[in-house]
Amino acid sequence: MTTLAILTALAPLAGPAAALAGARARASAAAEAVGAAVALGCAIALLTSLAGARPLQGWDGFLYADSLSGFFLLTVAGVTLLAALGSVSYIAAQEDSGELSPFQVKLYFTFFGLFASLMLASLETGNLGLLFVLVEGSTLASAALVGLEGHARSLEAAWKYVIISSLGVTIALAGTLFVFYSASALHPASNLALTWPYLLAHAPALAPQSLRLGFLLAVVGYGTKVGLAPMHTWLPDAHAEAPSPASAMLSAALLNVGMYAIIRFLAIAHARLGDTYPRAVLLSFGFASIVIGALFMVRKGNFKRLFAYSSVEHMGIIAVALGFGGVLGLYGALLQVLSHALAKSVLFLASGDVSLRYKTREAAGVSGLLAAVPVTGGALLLATFAVLGSPPFGVFLSELTIVRAGFARGSPIFPLLLLALLGVAFFAFARTITAMVTGSPPEPSPTSPYRDRAAVAVTAAPLILGLAALLVLGLWIPAGLDAVLRQSAAVIG
Amino acid sequence: MQSLSASSTAGVLLDLSGAAMLLLAFACLASKLFNRYVAYYGAQSVVLAFAAGTSAVAFHSAELWILAALTLVIKGLAIPFAARRVLVRRLALKRDAAMSTGLSTSLLAGGALTAFAYLVTRPALLPHGTAAAAVVPLSTAVILLGALTMVVRRHTVAQLIGWLIVENGVFLGAITLVATFPFIVEAGIFLDIVAGVLIMVVFVSGLTRQLAEASAAELRELRG
Repeated sequence: MTTLAILTALAPLAGPAAALAGARARASAAAEAVGAAVALGCAIALLTSLAGARPLQGWDGFLYADSLSGFFLLTVAGVTLLAALGSVSYIAAQEDSGELSPFQVKLYFTFFGLFASLMLASLETGNLGLLFVLVEGSTLASAALVGLEGHARSLEAAWKYVIISSLGVTIALAGTLFVFYSASALHPASNLALTWPYLLAHAPALAPQSLRLGFLLAVVGYGTKVGLAPMHTWLPDAHAEAPSPASAMLSAALLNVGMYAIIRFLAIAHARLGDTYPRAVLLSFGFASIVIGALFMVRKGNFKRLFAYSSVEHMGIIAVALGFGGVLGLYGALLQVLSHALAKSVLFLASGDVSLRYKTREAAGVSGLLAAVPVTGGALLLATFAVLGSPPFGVFLSELTIVRAGFARGSPIFPLLLLALLGVAFFAFARTITAMVTGSPPEPSPTSPYRDRAAVAVTAAPLILGLAALLVLGLWIPAGLDAVLRQSAAVIG
Repeated sequence: MQSLSASSTAGVLLDLSGAAMLLLAFACLASKLFNRYVAYYGAQSVVLAFAAGTSAVAFHSAELWILAALTLVIKGLAIPFAARRVLVRRLALKRDAAMSTGLSTSLLAGGALTAFAYLVTRPALLPHGTAAAAVVPLSTAVILLGALTMVVRRHTVAQLIGWLIVENGVFLGAITLVATFPFIVEAGIFLDIVAGVLIMVVFVSGLTRQLAEASAAELRELRG
């Protein structure tokens, strides 16, 4: 099992290895996709071997994986695979057109693989200090992706991203210190004491005052990475300026890693402080994010910013679900993590194809997608309805579960408010996308940026894969996944 | 975990270091010259290295000695030196004019944040009479002042220094609160800071160059 866990985290380094060995865009992307597929396979194998078994633990707790880590590994590895597949044609087209120099292509694949690898590694450690180190490392690797294009705008977005996220994660480190300090009554002596399973097992002995402050700082800190309002300000800029496959990685993988960290702290806080305090914290940040996300989606403009605000909204929904709590709330939150990740990957990858063809990222400049590029247009439309929570896709099921969890846990005001805000988001988002998809394409009709038909087919592959997975999640949750979700939800109890 | 008492020699020295670091954070907030920012940050890091050394003596910890040496070399010497060479000199930065509030307002806000830091960390959180009870409010205040520097300064270099001050504050908290922090984590934090500074320097130079080109373009447009 240890080998499997290590292989999961290291496999995405295949892309950087190929790029540094001098491969061009297509070959590097293919290597990255193979690496990501290996990582996904390992994550599934790890999950299977963890089912019903004791969590994997080694090296004084520096290595730790239970079903919750396994579930997030599955999500992140899956998103990495989709984004790597999406990179094949996207980056190659930009390389062919000269928009990216060979050096930039090399940088892209080096940091893409490093980013994926650091995220996967951060899901496999039990040590809260090492978690900080790896999350901050993934911030830096992804900042290089955001600033890759090197224009004033992308550099500004990258600067904003790296400085706000670094500050956020540093605050999370301060929170981690207070959580460790709350355990000083236990006289912890070894590294094992700084792991979250140890803290969880010894929760009754933690000092509540210090833990309370530590939990709040951790939520604010890692919440900056998640994009919870009001710490979300870096998110729309970074998502809009990064190359589209990298935007997919940010939105569908990185935000979830931040959420994973929050869940770990929540488990400890919940065990010692009870329901009320963590619930108040998560519901406040969650609803603030949903409101901000939904309101900013009303504005028309850059479609990648629209998707980014939708990510703010969805992270808010997940935080609210964690706040509702109970097994149902957590089950819904985790299902939402997976289905949002799939839908948002498809959206960002489709938007990459659109921006290459129409040479714009403004929604007003795009029309008649269904007529001009049926596969991308169709995928964009389907993923839009999926992400907005229409049946029969996964997000519908998870949002239904979350609302049910809300009604099951006391006051009906919160779930009703959630439903109303979801309505606003639906209207705002669908309005922009339908205008892009319908109508007639502009004259002269946009030209294909790809070298040959095979490249076009490769563009379609991750879109179809992602939508198919999303459809399966909406219609039927495989028994294995259901067991994993239940087991993971029990982590918080 | 052993805890230092506030009246022991090491406790007093840590307390003094914390106070000196807070003063240097205030000095940075009150300054308007780029090379002063860098100098104050360097001085603050040297004090931090001294605090880590004190802690190393008190806890008889070889790892803390290594950390103190790393702090002195990387944060006290290498980063200030590189920042002066690569940023301040090469980009010809002198006076920082990009502030969102006046100096007196930001100093007042800094004072309020220091009081707030005491308010949050003092009551019931930390046992009386320990070194931690004296130092943690100071380190929290340093963190808040660093963050305030990032908020009131709009220039990227000033924001970078602000982040490094926040990092120093967290580190001061770490050596007093959790002296038994595993070494690999501390080393990783150092690696992150170095990588972070590197990548930020790349962005800052790129941005400054782009902005310089942009303003030159404006000048050309106005011609004739």
